[in-house]
Amino acid sequence: MKLTRREFAVAATAAFASMGLPRLASARSPLVVPTYGGLWAKFWEEKLLPGLKEATDVEPQLDVGLGKDFVSKIRAGGDRSPYSIFMGNENIAAILRAEGFFEPFDVSKLPNAANVYPQFVNKDTNGIRSIISPIGLAYRTDMVKTPPTSWHDLWENPEFKGRTGLYQIGNTGAVVFLRLVGELFGSGPDDFDTAFAKIKELLPFSQASWSGELSTALMRGDAIVAPVDWTEIMVLQDKGAPVDIVAPKEGVLAFEQSFNLVRTGAEKDAAHAYLNYVLDANVQRDMAKAFYTSPCNKASELDDEIRKRTPIVGDRMSEIRSYNWDSYVDKAADIADRWNREMA
Amino acid sequence: MSAVEAAPRASVRPPGVGRFGPAWMLVPALVLLIGFFALPYITIITMSLREASTRAVYGDGFTVAHYATALGDPYIWGILGKTLLIGAIVTVLTLLLGYLVAYHLARSRSRWTSLLYIFVLSPLLVGLVVRTFAWMIILSNNGVANKTLMTLGVIGFPLQLMNNSLGVTIALTHVFLPFIILPLLGNLQAISPDLAMASRSLGASRMRTFLKVTLPLSLPGIQAGTILVFVLSISAYVTPAMLGGTGGRTMSVLVVQYLVDNFRWPAGAALAIIMAGVAVLVVGLYLRLTARAMRRLP
Repeated sequence: MKLTRREFAVAATAAFASMGLPRLASARSPLVVPTYGGLWAKFWEEKLLPGLKEATDVEPQLDVGLGKDFVSKIRAGGDRSPYSIFMGNENIAAILRAEGFFEPFDVSKLPNAANVYPQFVNKDTNGIRSIISPIGLAYRTDMVKTPPTSWHDLWENPEFKGRTGLYQIGNTGAVVFLRLVGELFGSGPDDFDTAFAKIKELLPFSQASWSGELSTALMRGDAIVAPVDWTEIMVLQDKGAPVDIVAPKEGVLAFEQSFNLVRTGAEKDAAHAYLNYVLDANVQRDMAKAFYTSPCNKASELDDEIRKRTPIVGDRMSEIRSYNWDSYVDKAADIADRWNREMA
Repeated sequence: MSAVEAAPRASVRPPGVGRFGPAWMLVPALVLLIGFFALPYITIITMSLREASTRAVYGDGFTVAHYATALGDPYIWGILGKTLLIGAIVTVLTLLLGYLVAYHLARSRSRWTSLLYIFVLSPLLVGLVVRTFAWMIILSNNGVANKTLMTLGVIGFPLQLMNNSLGVTIALTHVFLPFIILPLLGNLQAISPDLAMASRSLGASRMRTFLKVTLPLSLPGIQAGTILVFVLSISAYVTPAMLGGTGGRTMSVLVVQYLVDNFRWPAGAALAIIMAGVAVLVVGLYLRLTARAMRRLP
């Protein structure tokens, strides 16, 4: 068939126009559910989303990436965010919150929120920290004679000198560690000068972008001790690796996955239904089984075997050091820049 | 003017060519050029000139402060210098290694030659992340390289082979080797073996023949391959990010940290533009020098 220019132009216009038809034909668009790769994506695909579909009328569509990717997409989306709900570490979520991208949840649509430990619910329910992965001190059982019991051991145990692994500043693990060191040695979590000075005392140390890289450093023996989340270490243990993790006596840190309602998202009711499902006691229990996370729902019950391996549960949830990130937002870029310059 | 003279003007227009002549055929090319080249650059340049903001992607106003800050920062210059140095070393190493391989492939008449082609191209079939992980296994403190050297008694304690520029340079040399072999191979295959034979028959040694005949004639391949490897090396991200650590940080890693980790889009965009500008200068200078050398060829 030979098309004239005019016929071609008409056909092309029709084709472009038809791309928008599915959106028009459907009364509701699916809820885009952001999550991370690896074990997380597997759990969302195989367990969480099928359960969500069964329990609600939400039609979810998975989007796998990093919290920072989701930030970029929400920012780039402007008045039409691709997400109605954001999941990311609380320190990252605080940036978008400060920019006005989030709005408070309607608690009447979140019955399960009533059972969440109060420390994980932000002021005015503007964000709920719904998946808690505690960070303890992991170490090589075959290479460390005196296992750590305190964060101070990183400075005081001579075995660890030059063989410590830390997250890079781009990872939330480094940021919470920085604030912890400010608390332990200085005037508080905002005492960054003291924190930088103390962490510099640990140099040279291996730096890793994410937990998998830290566990690789542990497995190679490049690092014999490192602050890492339980998830990573339990998975290594399951593979037979000679590693263990302890909760230091001063308390543990945590990756707190903050769920936030995106003001510029289109599916707010579905977003509420999704978060309510995530906060469900049984779903929190299933996550603990899959990721060794600490259920943030007080009613969530773990069997003894899981409790043994996921010790920060129930009353021990108060050991988690949660930080307020509102004051940190303006300083975040400078602190990251300073870390990159000084921790080399 | 007669009617006979005027009539043919309209009839000579080929079928399908309108009043505007064949110019409309340029439209797809222009759309591609603008959409894929000009627009992204314009967007990045514009973003690099926006004011910073901690409450939005960028502020409302315009400023050149990001350029001024970056250009006045010795830390940035240090990383820029290190990036260019890594690029230069990788280019020289790949040229030396790649020339040997390309020369052999171009001259070989063995039935195993096709197997060698597969060896040359096979690294490209494996993902970059996988190859970089392989280098992590080789170069780490308890890796294959250190363990072998310690077993042989060459070293008493592990050498720091990664988390610095050395690891990045080694891995990038491996990663980009095929990118110099292929243009060199095409060039060397185009040089007639008769020229070398003529040189030998006139009494020139093998080395003199190579230096005076083959090497000068392969300069176009060297130029194309080295530029390709240099540009790819200085803009590489995955390998420096995974193997460089804090000691081997390059401009690409720094730009991504500004954009993704620190959410400083305008400053990151300014760094990217500075990097691109410096790369254009270096490549332009190199092109002038090599073009001058090639003009002297017989």
